[in-house]
Amino acid sequence: MQQKKVALLLVLLLLLSTAPGFAQDVTTITWLSLGWPVDDVIAEFEAQNPDINVEAEQVGFNDLFAQIQVRLGARSPLPDVISVDVPLVSAYAFRNWLLPLDPVFTGDEVEDWLPAAVNAGSYEGTLYAAPVSTSTQLLFYNSGCFERAGLMPPGADDRLTWEEIAEIAQQMTFDDDGDGTPDVWGFIWEQMVRIYQLQVLPESLGGAAIGEDGLTVDGVINSQEWIDAFTYYYDMFNVLNVAPQGEEFWPADIFETGNICMFVGGPWNIPRFANNADLEIDWGVSRHPYFADGVPATPTGSWHIGVNANTENRDAATRFVHWLSTGEGAEKWWRDGSGDFPAQQSVLALFATEAEFDALPMSYLRTAADEATVNPRPRAVTVGFLEYEQILQNTFQDIRNGADVTESLSLAVQRIESEMAKYRE
Amino acid sequence: MCVAHLNQAASDIFAMTMRQRIVPYLLLLPALVLLLVFNLLPTIATIVESTFVISLRSGERVFAGFANFERIFNDPIFWKSLQVTVVFSLVVNPLQIALSLGLSMLMNQRLPGIGIFRSIYLLPVAVSLNVTAIVWRLLLDKNTGMINGILFNMGIERQPFLHSPDQALWSIILIASWIGVPLWSLFILAGLQNIPPPVLEAAKIDGANAWQSFTRVTLPLLRRVLAFVLVADTVANFLLFAPILLTTQGGPQLSTNLILYETYRRGFLYGDLGASAAMLSVMLLIVFVIVGVELYVLRGSD
Amino acid sequence: MNAHVTRRARRNRKPLRAYLLPALVYCLLIIGVLIVVIPLMWAAAASFTPNHKVFEYAYPFSWRALLPVDFTLEAYENIFARGFGQSITNTLFLAFVTVFVGGAANALAGFAFGRFEFRGKNALFMVIVMLTFLVPVDLTAIPRYILINNFGWINTWQGLLVPGLANSLVIFLFRQFFAEIPQELIDAARVDGASWLRVLWSIVLPISKPVLVAAGLLMFISQWNSFFWPLLVAPRQELRVVQVEISLAVGQYGTIWNELLAGSMIAAIVPILLVMPFQRYYVQAITGTGLE
Repeated sequence: MQQKKVALLLVLLLLLSTAPGFAQDVTTITWLSLGWPVDDVIAEFEAQNPDINVEAEQVGFNDLFAQIQVRLGARSPLPDVISVDVPLVSAYAFRNWLLPLDPVFTGDEVEDWLPAAVNAGSYEGTLYAAPVSTSTQLLFYNSGCFERAGLMPPGADDRLTWEEIAEIAQQMTFDDDGDGTPDVWGFIWEQMVRIYQLQVLPESLGGAAIGEDGLTVDGVINSQEWIDAFTYYYDMFNVLNVAPQGEEFWPADIFETGNICMFVGGPWNIPRFANNADLEIDWGVSRHPYFADGVPATPTGSWHIGVNANTENRDAATRFVHWLSTGEGAEKWWRDGSGDFPAQQSVLALFATEAEFDALPMSYLRTAADEATVNPRPRAVTVGFLEYEQILQNTFQDIRNGADVTESLSLAVQRIESEMAKYRE
Repeated sequence: MCVAHLNQAASDIFAMTMRQRIVPYLLLLPALVLLLVFNLLPTIATIVESTFVISLRSGERVFAGFANFERIFNDPIFWKSLQVTVVFSLVVNPLQIALSLGLSMLMNQRLPGIGIFRSIYLLPVAVSLNVTAIVWRLLLDKNTGMINGILFNMGIERQPFLHSPDQALWSIILIASWIGVPLWSLFILAGLQNIPPPVLEAAKIDGANAWQSFTRVTLPLLRRVLAFVLVADTVANFLLFAPILLTTQGGPQLSTNLILYETYRRGFLYGDLGASAAMLSVMLLIVFVIVGVELYVLRGSD
Repeated sequence: MNAHVTRRARRNRKPLRAYLLPALVYCLLIIGVLIVVIPLMWAAAASFTPNHKVFEYAYPFSWRALLPVDFTLEAYENIFARGFGQSITNTLFLAFVTVFVGGAANALAGFAFGRFEFRGKNALFMVIVMLTFLVPVDLTAIPRYILINNFGWINTWQGLLVPGLANSLVIFLFRQFFAEIPQELIDAARVDGASWLRVLWSIVLPISKPVLVAAGLLMFISQWNSFFWPLLVAPRQELRVVQVEISLAVGQYGTIWNELLAGSMIAAIVPILLVMPFQRYYVQAITGTGLE
């Protein structure tokens, strides 16, 4: 009697374990991505490819990397398709997590992508992640601040130096309520502590992002160029006090409220500000700044898309990747998907021809489209990018909050070298 | 005593003896199988993993003996995080237990409206650690945080809190205690309510002042519940990492890089499973030793 | 009796002191309440505030920071438009199945440990129950993930559910409670020839309300608050749980603070509503773990 009931319980437990099976001619693939608005794009793809069903798996930006690490590290066949932050392509390809994509694309399709994006999506000469988006950075400014400081704002095609930025920012930092802390700040970087945005500081001075072997950082990130660049960065927050410390704000948010006069940020802000009916400030953009003694250097790189090497739906997965990264699909993604900048020259060219971009402020996107092609500086190519990025992010955060530049960079060297050791065997 | 009764009952119903023997195993089966498969096996697998090195390129696992342990023992970051963990534990556990004891004594007062207070103090227990960490991160921000706003109104200058190597660990202790103190005081409160009032009355009659009756009567009677709270609190604080992940990510300058967060970072972000498993094994060993020592020191004399 | 009278007399002579102590207790209690309530009030108020005004009254601090003066439901509308409702349904379903199915398995095990003497009892208890209690589940997630993957349970309800059904703390709780039930009650039923399951069902469970409620709450809250495992094992949209849904407010180029806080408030209110009415049981039974 009691055994029967216990057995019944076990049967119940087992019943829970029988997976609902799918049996139809439609192949279902899963696509791991960030929380982008993907529904329209997927619907369009499915309409054109009725034999494929795309399931979106979306995770927060902070969780995506651990998610990929665990699932692909476990050689799981799912997800079939993965959105890859481009500097991680080497790391994933090195671990054999991504399917080589060379056979999937024609020569013309490869030619259409920005060369920097193709390079960044490749590892040891093989394409592992198809470019979907790219990015660039511009200087955004609040015209009211310039007026208040009695200065002339730069034109869209001007390129200020970092020295000029520091100078102007000091004149545009205002402490209106006299509490000793500015209410209107002069300047900030949009992604304040991320290598994506800060690597171009030492690069503008002639520094490198990583050693020739893609692993060494000693002598590179503690070089004079890095020390000089991050002393500038340190000063903006700690000496000149023109850039806010603390963390719990996003520059575009406080730019909109008039609490920050200039920031370096991505072109995704242009439609955001242009479409904000409540926006009370006048704003404009100019080219990405550089050091007077150095060369122009502008961040680039964005999201690519790859296929899990262990997928059981190789054909369907590569078809989806092909569709999304070329031609019609790429255009659809640019219009209705990520809101990021397209990596296809044919789609970038639409900025020049479409009437939507004829007038200010949307015409700033034409400036951005050009900036994306002139001085792009991709991030370091290294199989240990995640470690490199995370540790540098900690380091920049420390410097921003007042830690000694040279000491912080040497600690970073110690930490990164210790992590890179495992790749040297 | 249970044995005697059961044996008695079993011999009375002798026909059921055989079935009797397997009954407890059947009852245990579902839960223990689940624990075995989904908790114990992964734990063992993790410990075993600490003796393997995985070729990052091919995914091949090679037995490596103590190579991973050697690697982490030679890693200054590991030692630094161990040091942070020791400091954290030495502060957070006594602090939380002292505050919980104090709070539970307050909640144990027979005063009008005390029920409302008890209900309010339950709130943090029901809020998840993730939500707590996020809310406090916002409250403690240097520029926009409300705590600095309150300090400003009091004429005190801004504090960097989570952004300063001197204050960040304290801020983490604050966040952990916001949940921890109400939680543990619930346990202690129940222990206090189990002390019969006549015992305390008797102490008072004997001329004991408040402090004496606390140290000589209340504390000894709370020994068991305090022992439990101490052990559970030690384990909980050793295993803390979600608030670090959501606030400081180990910074500034590694000042909040608790060992479990470093373990998480190595394994889940950098994919260095060998080093991560070795750290976890060391961690577990430390937790076992500490819990063992605590249980030994606090073992009942009765 | 005599002493009683003297004490009363003494108290009458020192009325000031008699008021001083409660006053001090209230003061301390109120300070504690402020520490507990102010963060929650700010978070709740901010969740009803337009995103760009979330930090408006925090620095310098004004009472407006604790009340939704620029009231809007925008954050709540947005998260529900994105599918927050679905994730609430999902999580409630998971939590209830865990409470009932997991609760049954844990209660049976707790009964075996609490009421039976059998070979290997201590070893099983120490190794399986205590050890699994001391190991952080999140940090052993990789081998568990590989296991679930081999079962083909990724993106399934069972992948979300089954690993969390057995709960060592809850088994422990049941064991403590069942061990203290008077033997006579059980003997009487056994002599009448009732099976063990019948004893459990009709004798033990009816008198175990506090421990059932407490165990249920513990399991409910742990499933309701779970984040790391669901994120790994079932990231598909239809299976998304509350805590994962909240984390989506953190984007690459910005965090939508009011949506993050709105999600957090909903996540917090459900366990609060459950714990409040059952407070007495919760406290009663949770101490069961501590007192033995």
